[in-house]
Amino acid sequence: MFRNNYDNDSVTFSPQGRIFQVEYALEAIKQGSAAVGLRSKTHVALVALKRSAEELGSYQKKIIPIDKHLGVALAGLSPDARVLSNFMRQQSMASRLLYKRPVPVARVVNAIADKAQVNTQHYGKRPYGVGLLIAGVDETGPHLWEFQPSGQILEYFGAAIGARSQSARTYLERNFESFPDVSREELVLHGLKALRDTLQQDKELTTDNTSIAIVGIGEDLRQYDGPKVKKFLDLLGEDGTRSQRAARLDTAMDIGGDADDDDDELAGLLGPGEGGNSAMDTTE
Amino acid sequence: MTSIGTGYDLSNSVFSPDGRNFQVEYAQKAVENGPTTIGLRCKDGIILACEKLITSKLLVPGSNKRISTVDRHVGIATSGLVPDGKHFTNRAREEAISWRRNFKDSVPVASLADRMGSYAQAYTLYSSVRPFGVTAILGGADDDGPALYMIEPSGMYWGYFGAATGKGRQAAKSEIEKLNPTELTLLQGIKEAARIIYVAHDDNKDKEFEIEMTWVTKDSKTATAAATGSKGMVWNGWVHEEVPKDLLEEASREAKKAIEEDDEEEEGDTKEEKMDEDL
Repeated sequence: MFRNNYDNDSVTFSPQGRIFQVEYALEAIKQGSAAVGLRSKTHVALVALKRSAEELGSYQKKIIPIDKHLGVALAGLSPDARVLSNFMRQQSMASRLLYKRPVPVARVVNAIADKAQVNTQHYGKRPYGVGLLIAGVDETGPHLWEFQPSGQILEYFGAAIGARSQSARTYLERNFESFPDVSREELVLHGLKALRDTLQQDKELTTDNTSIAIVGIGEDLRQYDGPKVKKFLDLLGEDGTRSQRAARLDTAMDIGGDADDDDDELAGLLGPGEGGNSAMDTTE
Repeated sequence: MTSIGTGYDLSNSVFSPDGRNFQVEYAQKAVENGPTTIGLRCKDGIILACEKLITSKLLVPGSNKRISTVDRHVGIATSGLVPDGKHFTNRAREEAISWRRNFKDSVPVASLADRMGSYAQAYTLYSSVRPFGVTAILGGADDDGPALYMIEPSGMYWGYFGAATGKGRQAAKSEIEKLNPTELTLLQGIKEAARIIYVAHDDNKDKEFEIEMTWVTKDSKTATAAATGSKGMVWNGWVHEEVPKDLLEEASREAKKAIEEDDEEEEGDTKEEKMDEDL
């Protein structure tokens, strides 16, 4: 790693006008496992990949429910996420107490963004080392926001954060136009497919390592962990690691060999291992 | 750069031997890469416009606004670090509210600019904070009519007829100088503003962008609704609001067409034009 004089704290600009400490905090997100969020006209779904530190240890928390209509998925330092989500819960409760209504999604998101910005401007503070995907429903419908340690917030149709999340984003970019009209289950499946693309060659989605949360118009936030995830994984159909799926596809190709052009192109772009799961989409 | 390696640029609030505050200058650098943002002080109001590059097609169009309302009669556009801009905007809102509490009146734009200038300046005084990485264009109207100010990270602020900041500020400035904003009506102004954003964008053509544009006007279509929503609230009749969609779309369309026509003419004498732009 290279050091320079301008990266000791978040109150020093570099000669180019950058704040390195904030940029490093953004890197912390990439150390965490991936989380994907996506929205339809009626629902928002969060799916996340859980890691376990050791064989006998439990899997980490990736999705934190905030309120009946609101939940977050995180990537990065989970203690920082807990601080932020506690704050969001306070905001949410205050809204219910004061105004007798669930807090608007944009309002809580803006509140944590303002909180995070202060940490980038004062000596002795550090930026939060966590990225969040905030899913919620309010009077204006379903919303998905991304929060970054810089205090930047952006509203998305579909977003992915964490390790190897670029692959998930690629999937979302290719498919997001169909999201608005899909059903609740299909939305989750799209999420799982995006999440699956972030996996390493020898890994697969299991009931242990997958976390799902859905919230919709007139439908409270529901979280699915452990055995409850099974029905979604079953719907996803294909199982096995990416290399196993690819191998299976190779034999299928030898017999049929009629994968359409788009998928060939996709396979070429994503490298040899990826061909399997993209072509597989046509078989489902 | 001479500032690097001297040690005088490592902390805020430190002067170099020749009397400069490098951290403030670096904060200005953060703005120089920001989105092109302009303000026009027209005959009958203010226009604020900003070029918003579309960094991902997954972003919700029209969301993630860069121009905000400070008070009913004042708007603010920031360029530079987005979260800093948000903080700055929040402060402006607090100032506007506090003015209402103290004086039972809407804040004059000049006073608000002064307060915000002082706020920015305070962040150049201490080594425990850093200056704001934003330039803010503040537009509004009061008893003296429309007013436009631009506040820099140093806390310096000036009143303008036409202001520009961000990446395309040079091109935008030279376009604004060709105009006489005070003689423009708002309706003419939005067309000019859209054209200027398109011209300033020229350098990085390949990227897609959307234009965000607001105005401060005395005859707003939504003003009546706004007024009924404010029982007992003092309000000077001016409204900061988004430029109506159809007007903005029309202005964008015309601007695009004008640019394309210019490009065709240019083809013969590209060199000359380039020189002009560089100046």
